[in-house]
Amino acid sequence: MASFGLLWSRLKNDRRAAWIALVALGVVLAVLPLLVDVGLGRAWVRVLNFTLLYVMLALGLNIVVGYAGLLDLGYIAFYAVGAYVYALLSSPHFGLHLPFWVTLPLGALVAAFFGVLLGAPTLRLRGDYLAIVTLGFGEIIRIFLNNLNAPVNITNGPQGVNLIDPLRIGEFSLNQTQVLLGMTFTGGTLLYYVFLALTLLTIFVCLRLQDSRIGRAWIAIREDEVAAAAMGINTRNIKLLAFAMGASFAGLSGGLFAGFQGFVSPESFNLLESIMILCMIVLGGMGNLPGVILGAVLLTVLPEALRYIGELERVLFGRVLVEPSDLRMLIFGLALVAMMILRPEGLLPSKRRAREFNADDSVLEQERASVYDASK
Amino acid sequence: MTLLVATHIDKAFGGLAALSDVSLSVNSGEIFGLIGPNGAGKTTLFNVLTGLYTASGGQVCFDGQSLLVHKPHAIVHLGLARTFQNIRLFANMTALENVMVGRHCRTRTGVWGAITRSPRGCEEEAAMRKRAHALLDVVGIRTQAQALAKHLSYGDQRRLEIARALATEPKLLALDEPAAGMNPSERVALTQLLQRLRSELGVTLLLIEHDVKLVMGLCDRVAVLDYGKKIAEGAPAQVRTDPRVIAAYLGGAVA
Repeated sequence: MASFGLLWSRLKNDRRAAWIALVALGVVLAVLPLLVDVGLGRAWVRVLNFTLLYVMLALGLNIVVGYAGLLDLGYIAFYAVGAYVYALLSSPHFGLHLPFWVTLPLGALVAAFFGVLLGAPTLRLRGDYLAIVTLGFGEIIRIFLNNLNAPVNITNGPQGVNLIDPLRIGEFSLNQTQVLLGMTFTGGTLLYYVFLALTLLTIFVCLRLQDSRIGRAWIAIREDEVAAAAMGINTRNIKLLAFAMGASFAGLSGGLFAGFQGFVSPESFNLLESIMILCMIVLGGMGNLPGVILGAVLLTVLPEALRYIGELERVLFGRVLVEPSDLRMLIFGLALVAMMILRPEGLLPSKRRAREFNADDSVLEQERASVYDASK
Repeated sequence: MTLLVATHIDKAFGGLAALSDVSLSVNSGEIFGLIGPNGAGKTTLFNVLTGLYTASGGQVCFDGQSLLVHKPHAIVHLGLARTFQNIRLFANMTALENVMVGRHCRTRTGVWGAITRSPRGCEEEAAMRKRAHALLDVVGIRTQAQALAKHLSYGDQRRLEIARALATEPKLLALDEPAAGMNPSERVALTQLLQRLRSELGVTLLLIEHDVKLVMGLCDRVAVLDYGKKIAEGAPAQVRTDPRVIAAYLGGAVA
């Protein structure tokens, strides 16, 4: 971590180094799916795509929980809303086949609307109470999706919506293998680039917002809501804005999920998913974008990687002693507990958070002293 | 010209009448002191004026507008800002950011402006930053701009709260015990600061204070609260000799 910090400060101070690093990162991200496709197989390209979806989700939840400090345990509901908007508007279910550039933004918008819908009655709640209500909201959406097949069949109930159109431009489907410029791209790879572009867009939006008037207002509300109101911040609107922004990211991600999977059903949107996304931002470092992204990547990739434990066991012990799926959750749980003990502020915390968790920060005291000296 | 007129304010918490029939008026450009023993209802009155509490009865008129229908943030917008008795800074934000938050209600950049960094948004942000630095300079903690609010010394935190409230461009600044916990030299500096705020920025000040010496030296007029009632009002010298005030502070047979 220390060397990482050193690298980071170097990149911050040296513009050229920063550009080189950025270009290198871009190249890596660009060739990653191709390498993964060849090296690890198509299943891993899928994992890669899911990773990007979860990065988007985590970034959205980070706005609500990390910036505005509103603990939301029903966040997956907005993902569901986005997914179902896409699914219902471009599948044989209603016979509608709207293109994705309509359904994706629409999904984000509808999710944002649901964000406001959830936000409005919970404005007076904070902390545990808000968590309980949002948890309930998440479940309500899932149960609605499960039961809205009668008397009028809207969501097709537990069977879910099938045969959803893939993302396609005219006849060019991004879910199928295509030959472009003499290179063969498998379906997952093409989608990866779309997902990557939208993920970068969400990162950009987050970056811009966090250092803005709006971002400061969110943090001010997290720090002290009464004082924020007494400083002229319309806490109602700013909180609703946080809910709407966070939900719109989830809606976008959900739409991509529906187009990617070709199938959605209510069971994909259970409480565990909400908690998983919360884990991502807590593990990575709440409020800090690189941390949140790292958390999302780790918690999507690690469970997949831990599937290989079965094979490892076979090599070591000759047979599978513990089912990998059981062990996965065990290791995962242990990792989280260890995190909370060893590094409660997350892997890459924001400076603000790191300070919050380290009450005794002698380094900062020194910094302050040097400021005093400089002023003399 | 009167800036703030509160008439017949009542505020009850259950059966407890925290304020009953309190009226006072603050003139534009004056320093008005609100004193009284602990539990007299001074902070309650502040909370009513700034919209944190809704009054059970009465009227507040500020600069020609009725305040009681407004939410706290709207009251700030009208030009009445406050500080808190138990300091309520945004502890994990820097001093500069704290003051910039104070500029929130005087700026407009929304989500779209922030994402696109529109020229107007950038301009506004730069102006906000400049103004925040200037205000930190006014209260005398310019060098602490990048320090986290919670790492400031107690006196500096009080100053930062004043800077943050000033950032909202108040006509009337309500200070809830600004000198609490300060040592004598800090008090003197604070008195000078408050006088400068009035003379240089033209801010009207309403302050709650316990320190009688500070109030007498600083305020043009003083009102005394006791058990939720106003028992005296007038020039400091005159109030000081009022038997009811003496009784409230020292105890006595006067009811």
